[in-house]
Amino acid sequence: MKLFTSAIAIAASLYGAQVFAWEATEGRPYEGQTVNVLAVKSSQFEAHEARVAAFEEATGIDVVYDYVPFPNMKEALTTEMVAGGEYDVVSVMDQWVVSLRQLMAPIGPGIEAQGTDLGDFPAAHMRHGMLDGELIGLPVRGHVQLLFYRADLLEAAGVTPPQTWQEMVTAAKAIQSSTDAAGIALPYGKLNGQNLMVWMNLLWGKGGDLFGADGNPIFNSDAGIAATETYVSYINEEIVPAGSAVFVEQDAVNSFKQGNSAMLPVWWWVRSQLTDPEQSTLTPEQVGFTALPAVDGADRTTYTNTWIFGVTQESDVKDAATEFLGWLTDPALEREVLLDPELSEVVAVHMSNLTDPEVNARWGGMHQAAADALATAEGVEFGDNWPRIALILETAISSLASGEESDVKAALDKAAKDIAAIR
Amino acid sequence: MKDRLLPYWLLIPAFIIVLATTIYPLAYSFITSFRDWDLTESRRPGGFVGVENYAYAASESAFLNSLWVTTVFVVTSVILTVILAVALALLLRRTGPMHTFTRIILILPFAMSPALIGVSYRFMFNPEFGVLAQGLGAVFPALQGVPWLADPLLAMGILVLTDVWHWTPYMTFMCLGGLASIPRETEEAARIDGASNLRIIFGIILPQMRGVILVMAVLKTIFALKMFDQVVTLTGGGPGTSTETLAYFIFNVGFRWFDMGYASALAWILTAIMMFISIWYVRMLLSERKMATA
Repeated sequence: MKLFTSAIAIAASLYGAQVFAWEATEGRPYEGQTVNVLAVKSSQFEAHEARVAAFEEATGIDVVYDYVPFPNMKEALTTEMVAGGEYDVVSVMDQWVVSLRQLMAPIGPGIEAQGTDLGDFPAAHMRHGMLDGELIGLPVRGHVQLLFYRADLLEAAGVTPPQTWQEMVTAAKAIQSSTDAAGIALPYGKLNGQNLMVWMNLLWGKGGDLFGADGNPIFNSDAGIAATETYVSYINEEIVPAGSAVFVEQDAVNSFKQGNSAMLPVWWWVRSQLTDPEQSTLTPEQVGFTALPAVDGADRTTYTNTWIFGVTQESDVKDAATEFLGWLTDPALEREVLLDPELSEVVAVHMSNLTDPEVNARWGGMHQAAADALATAEGVEFGDNWPRIALILETAISSLASGEESDVKAALDKAAKDIAAIR
Repeated sequence: MKDRLLPYWLLIPAFIIVLATTIYPLAYSFITSFRDWDLTESRRPGGFVGVENYAYAASESAFLNSLWVTTVFVVTSVILTVILAVALALLLRRTGPMHTFTRIILILPFAMSPALIGVSYRFMFNPEFGVLAQGLGAVFPALQGVPWLADPLLAMGILVLTDVWHWTPYMTFMCLGGLASIPRETEEAARIDGASNLRIIFGIILPQMRGVILVMAVLKTIFALKMFDQVVTLTGGGPGTSTETLAYFIFNVGFRWFDMGYASALAWILTAIMMFISIWYVRMLLSERKMATA
């Protein structure tokens, strides 16, 4: 039985906001325990940390956050998995979950006891918290892709925001003929599979997929070849910035922020960077967004990205850590961060918040667009070989983009052969 | 008796540190190289698989590619660094305020972190706002808009450039040390006999510098074989696999694919290559000394 309500919930209700669903366990059974959290560097998680005092007050549990930049996060988690014992709660990106299975402990009973509504998480995010039928983590940070565009440049070129990839090419050419900006910023370089994230949408849109039902690669099918040829053709058609062959995601984002590109298909969380005066030359009026373009005649798709938080196997305070997870994944905490006028945080993983009128009013309907995209998004099944598969695939795309390889079919066949040969 | 044992007692702390930080990890990784250890399945090494990991390496195209990339990188990097270091040392061996100032400035690249060098050059060669990319384009219009890091050959060239830029100062100082040990009398005698500067350099100075140059070459070769930091921060091994060095490939196998047995085998292949080169150089060095003292 849970009687204690957190101080945050009281404060929120005083302001007429949504009441926190999370409640501290009666009797503060974990008082005096310390939960050490290893989180990827993110302003969203820093916003959580800024509010953690209320959790500490309600439970008597101390929470200590350590942040690691994204490029070093996998190594930090690997060290924790092998050496163990330093952290009780860790943030893990979806692609790494299976390969880090030795790190995470089942949390199902503890989360169920807290009454967390798992049905509020979109399926595409929630699936990454499940491993071998057991709940090992809860989504806290999740992304869909949107197409951001320069409203002023599109207007000057007399084009509307593109709804299909073909319309996007047409719009890019029109923009380039009327301005100095490149049509669209895309990542083709190698870094944690970033060049696959847009390519995957073309692959799905053309009717292809990565693997067949038997688990064998099928991305080298006719659909896969067509998708890859289309993706690489944007370089040959010169509608992307010079040097895009080595652009990673941040290079593409920088190109857009510096006014050098007119369109940018990317994760929605980037929104807050695009008009940040300290990082960008753009004003809010200049930046618009729409759903990611669809392939002509096909349904819209979006690749998703999810960060789950889980409890480590080596933790000595698993129950306290699970209680912390219950607080951390409370939709009311997420809503409070989304609506905080001092912050510019757009990330949400609860359908209740994605469809919330007040949230959508603040962010111009972006969350409803994300909810629509997530309604049909299934997410990708990442096996324990995914890091290697992603490297082989991203290398193939990079080789084709740089001209190191020119035969798309041969490059994809070689990648399929290399993936099939993984021991 | 006590006096005789004292040196050994004094050596024990250093020996324990070397044992714990070098010999034990080396021995452990050597044993691991003969085992199957997939970190996604277990935190403990699996069973012994004989030489399977080594045999797999011999048949894997990605490993063979990284071996080729490393060879190209090492050869070009060592040759360029040694030539530049010798040339700079010859220019700087005179004394004077400007030479002292230049020597101080020269050490700055070596003081920089290799990872930071990679990040800096990545920015400087960015085709949109990179200062070097823009500068080269302004001076040579034909180079305007060249996607430097997007071309496999140019990317390798820039990787070599960063390494040469980083190591040349250190090698120059080694060379200056060698030059200081050459007796000036032979050079002065040659000048009195009317020998040209080039003749003095190639006929008198360089032959006496042979030993130092060999040491420089062996050190630079070993450091180049371990090239990792700049690959991570400058090219990520790309475009494609054009700059994927052996050290970077080993990192991927171990810490991205979690195949620790295979990664250990690859690490030992790299170690064996470095040991072979080191022994070969040292034998050459010793035979030179024998000839010199004969």
